[in-house]
Amino acid sequence: MHAETVTPTDSAARADPPVLRLGRTGRWVRIAVTVLGAALLLAGTLVGQDDDFPFGPFRMYATADRLDEPVTDTRLSAVDASGRRFALTDDATGFRRAEVEGQLPRFEKHPELLSGLATAYARRQPGRPRLVRIDVVVRLIELRDGRPTGKYTQRTVVSWSAR
Amino acid sequence: MNRVARWFTAPVPLGRVAAFRTLVYLFVAADLVVFTPWVRMHADVPGSLYQPLLIGRLLPLPTPGYVLVTVTFWLLLALSLAAATGRAPRLLGWLVFALYLQWMVVAMSYGKVDHDRFDLLVALAVLPTVGAARHGDPTRSERAGWALRATQLAVVATYFLSTWAKLRFGGLDWLTGATMTRAVLRRGTVFAEWSTHVPHLLVVVQFLIVAFELSTPLVFVLRGRWHWLWVALMYAFHVMVYAAVTISFIPHLVAMTSFLPLEKVRPVVRLRRLLRRRADRPLPAD
Repeated sequence: MHAETVTPTDSAARADPPVLRLGRTGRWVRIAVTVLGAALLLAGTLVGQDDDFPFGPFRMYATADRLDEPVTDTRLSAVDASGRRFALTDDATGFRRAEVEGQLPRFEKHPELLSGLATAYARRQPGRPRLVRIDVVVRLIELRDGRPTGKYTQRTVVSWSAR
Repeated sequence: MNRVARWFTAPVPLGRVAAFRTLVYLFVAADLVVFTPWVRMHADVPGSLYQPLLIGRLLPLPTPGYVLVTVTFWLLLALSLAAATGRAPRLLGWLVFALYLQWMVVAMSYGKVDHDRFDLLVALAVLPTVGAARHGDPTRSERAGWALRATQLAVVATYFLSTWAKLRFGGLDWLTGATMTRAVLRRGTVFAEWSTHVPHLLVVVQFLIVAFELSTPLVFVLRGRWHWLWVALMYAFHVMVYAAVTISFIPHLVAMTSFLPLEKVRPVVRLRRLLRRRADRPLPAD
């Protein structure tokens, strides 16, 4: 790695700046690392999943959409100790909406995990009344030719209540 | 084989990698505060909602909590700003890489993984191997060359392999379906709304996007004016995407500056020269 040498031949021919060359080992280690990284990335793209970060597939906007399929919209609705019902924002809990969607199967199996969001809410808003209920509401917005028709169906897929 | 080996380590001026390094580490600091401030909010989320990724299960990374997230934030902010000066490039470089990787694990282990910064992580991983590099130094170095080449390869792989992911997860429907229509309807700007009314236009756009992504490796083949045109096209692509649906891949755009002759941009030198000129100028006589 440290065998860098200045070769005068490169600079002598023309008035080019000198070149710091790599040693044999340094060069081949670098090439091996490049090939290894490329192999991991290729494997991640072919058979990997998001779990294999940072070598997972680059699936940004990779899913295909149909214009007549409904759009799902996931929201959190909460009730606090004073009885007030309101929508829980990402900022209120520090847990993003996309993360709710990502862990939805887990929440459906273990609704008690939603209490973690109540804890996060209490930590971020220490002065406010604590949350006593959280509902995950999935709204299916109907589309026709890719435009919302104004109709939607709504369903509470999982709920948690404090005891 | 020797020619291939030389291509991987084609020398570039040390001044270029010095400028790239400053830019990348300044971005890390800005990313913490401005671009992805939500990562820090995970400090308040209980460990029961932490779903470690493979990397978090392989490495002995602790479950993030308030202390870990807060300490990582401030340490990373201080060290990235220090690294941006170019001092102690190996020590600070490796520390910033390790801490930023940890930061990304905190960011993406709660149910959502983002895909906009593979090439930035590569840049952070290879920059410490360059060692000392002064701003403006015209000396060409193969170490510096490899660091920039590895980043460039990651940039191009991001485009090229994202097409593979589109076909793998979306299938051919990605090309012929309503992907762009959906994107424009969900987050389209005034520059893009009209496009959903033109029949088939957005399907053509989908084909053009895939054609562009698949042809990005040409940047390594083209020479001279065409090479720069291609780099400009890559940036233009993101300008258009941003104008249409306000999606920006800022970490990727930063990594992409590995294609630019950054050593020619010397803001500090220019500022100094400007100040000196102003100081040298005689005061106007009344």
